[in-house]
Amino acid sequence: MVDEQPFAHPHELADLSIEGVSKTFRTRAQPVQALSSVTLKVKRGSFVALIGPSGCGKSTLLRLVAGLEEPDQGVVLLRNETPRAFRARGELGIAFQDPALLPWRTVRRNVALPLQVLGRKVSAHRERIDDLIELVGLTGYADALPGQLSGGMRQRVAIARALVTNPSMLLLDEPFGALDQILRRSMNQELQRIWMASPTTALMVTHSIDEAAFLADQVVVMNAAPGRIVDKISIPFSRPRGAALFAAPEFHAVCDQLAAALDSGGSR
Amino acid sequence: MIRARLYSSLTVLFVLLVWEVAARLIHSVRDVIASPTLILVQYWTGADLYVPHVLATVRSAAFGFVIGASFAVAAAILFCRFPAVEGAFRGVNIALFAMPPIVVGPVLAIVFNGDLPQIILAALVVYFPAMAAALVGLRDIDPRLLDVIRTYGGGSNAVMRFVRLRSALPAILAGLRIAAPLSVLGAILGEFGSGVRWGLGSFLLGSLGDADPARLLGIGFAATAIAMLGYGFFAWIGRRTTGATVAVTIAPDRSPDQVILWTEYSGASRAALFVMAFLLPFLLWWLILQVSHISPIIAPGPMETLHYLTAGPESVDARASLLAALAQTLPLAGLGLVCGLAAAFVVASLTVVRPAVANAILPVAMLLQSMPLVALVPLVMLLFGRDTAASVVMAVLVVFFPAYVMLAQGFALVPHAARELVEVYGGSKSRELALVSIPYAASYLFAAAKLVAPRALLGVMVAEWLLSGRGLGNLLNSSRGLLDYDMVWAGAVISILISVAAYEAVGGIERLLR
Repeated sequence: MVDEQPFAHPHELADLSIEGVSKTFRTRAQPVQALSSVTLKVKRGSFVALIGPSGCGKSTLLRLVAGLEEPDQGVVLLRNETPRAFRARGELGIAFQDPALLPWRTVRRNVALPLQVLGRKVSAHRERIDDLIELVGLTGYADALPGQLSGGMRQRVAIARALVTNPSMLLLDEPFGALDQILRRSMNQELQRIWMASPTTALMVTHSIDEAAFLADQVVVMNAAPGRIVDKISIPFSRPRGAALFAAPEFHAVCDQLAAALDSGGSR
Repeated sequence: MIRARLYSSLTVLFVLLVWEVAARLIHSVRDVIASPTLILVQYWTGADLYVPHVLATVRSAAFGFVIGASFAVAAAILFCRFPAVEGAFRGVNIALFAMPPIVVGPVLAIVFNGDLPQIILAALVVYFPAMAAALVGLRDIDPRLLDVIRTYGGGSNAVMRFVRLRSALPAILAGLRIAAPLSVLGAILGEFGSGVRWGLGSFLLGSLGDADPARLLGIGFAATAIAMLGYGFFAWIGRRTTGATVAVTIAPDRSPDQVILWTEYSGASRAALFVMAFLLPFLLWWLILQVSHISPIIAPGPMETLHYLTAGPESVDARASLLAALAQTLPLAGLGLVCGLAAAFVVASLTVVRPAVANAILPVAMLLQSMPLVALVPLVMLLFGRDTAASVVMAVLVVFFPAYVMLAQGFALVPHAARELVEVYGGSKSRELALVSIPYAASYLFAAAKLVAPRALLGVMVAEWLLSGRGLGNLLNSSRGLLDYDMVWAGAVISILISVAAYEAVGGIERLLR
């Protein structure tokens, strides 16, 4: 079921264009085809979730968008630029399942790291950094070290860091994968609030069906061997979506639809 | 923690008490080992001698340490940033790892004056362990951080600046912790070679003839104390600077194979790097002599030394005396290596059967590992005389402690679940040792053997130089006295080549058996 409904945000421009991308990894045993001719367009300002079983290539797809891997075939373009050119301007933000913070830096200096890598003046962005720390709910922890924070708080720091350059594309690789379900649901609401407050296109990899259904405008369902897209499902709920949505029957219907898409892809 | 400290303090007090009583009441002990109070008294009466000797050694060791550590960190950054450079320097690194420092001292004394030979030797001894630790620290970073930096367009320089340098700091400090006591050893071995007036090495040389137990042990303890102060200083800095961010771990000693990455290269580039790695040490030797304009009579280059050993007018005699010396030295070094490794393996396997015993031995072994081996010379002489036995015991001692520490770590890393599996099926501790722990820790046996193979040769040569007056150690010492420069250089080069060969041979056996 491929649905092309209008998105919640007004822009209709394609921010991300993935055209016939294939990627094979050479392992000692045999080559593994991580992605086989994947095509995907993501509209400006939309939130897209990639979901699928492990080995379906969803993380590889995200790494291709970040320019951390090169495709064997096909093209990845971000606003008609290569990932390398795009990210060199600080237009990309990224957060992983592991917050990957520098343990010797305070929260404030961790958030400032992308600016330093890009060669920008940190002092000129002090206000922006403090606003972001407030946005992710860490007011009062700006001078704390990562070792003094809980897992959820560290993940908030990673998200603040991903937003510090005002990116037009936000990449999230299972950002809450290491958190328990209760914390994950409250972080999902937080992420929605943060994302709605900052005008970016978001691409999130997840293996949680309800996380995808809750956050995304569109869910891209993938499957393994070879890694490929099997379905694209639009999520109709209006924003902001509240905690009550998790209990709503129409939410469960969407989750069932996603589960069915994952299953049917698996039986091929 | 506090209770454990109390127990070990009580143990030390008890040992001191037994030692005091035995050294005072038992005749056979009194002739060999001075009592603690006697040693303290001679520190007091001999203070006018100790102060200048100790100060001279501390000065040489400190200068050498700063120079060696600076080169080590700079080299590690270079090797991490450009792996091909490290491949090319493999030969230099292995030579610096394996070289017996005692043979380099006389060579340095020929070329340099005053304190320089000791300072340079201390720097050379410090270089490898400090470089190895720093390189491992620089390389071993969280791969996600690499992704973060690259996502913002940062390259290798940005990764180095924002991630590697700071995250390597604990490893660098751990390396300096190992290197600090070694700088004391290097300075003392340099003093043997240069024959300067002041320094603990000269003090020890001058006191061996008198065979006064209190004085000899006093010098040994003084050298150990300086080395321990160096170790303690960096342990303290390490705790202060990194305590907040990273847990302080025990500092492992490393052999080159645990540092050098060969897997990254293949085919032609690998072959080219091999050739480069082999040639570079000789090229550097030649280049340094060219640049420094030292007369080839006192400082022959690689070709002159080869000529001296193969075709020159003295080549027959030179080869004969070298071969005779090697025939005396190598069997003793081999025997010491095998005995020391076997003893280390047996004692380390006790970790499994008797954990309490191991817990008591490990801290002592870690402590003794950082003790300068020349500090053992007086004790060995007083207990085993000045003959062959003393040489073998020296080799065993310098082999045992580092090998034991590495093997104990190996036994400690045996997966708990694998050990419990045997227990669940009712297997005894010895059964578990035979089925799980020994096969598991055997791989560490090779790592330990590579680490200590060159040291066995050094141990024997130190004993030959100071005590027995035989073998390669004595040949170099007497050639130095006779101003036979060609032989000093040839003997040093041969010793280093043999050490490197011993190291590579252990690696070869390991590859063959796997």
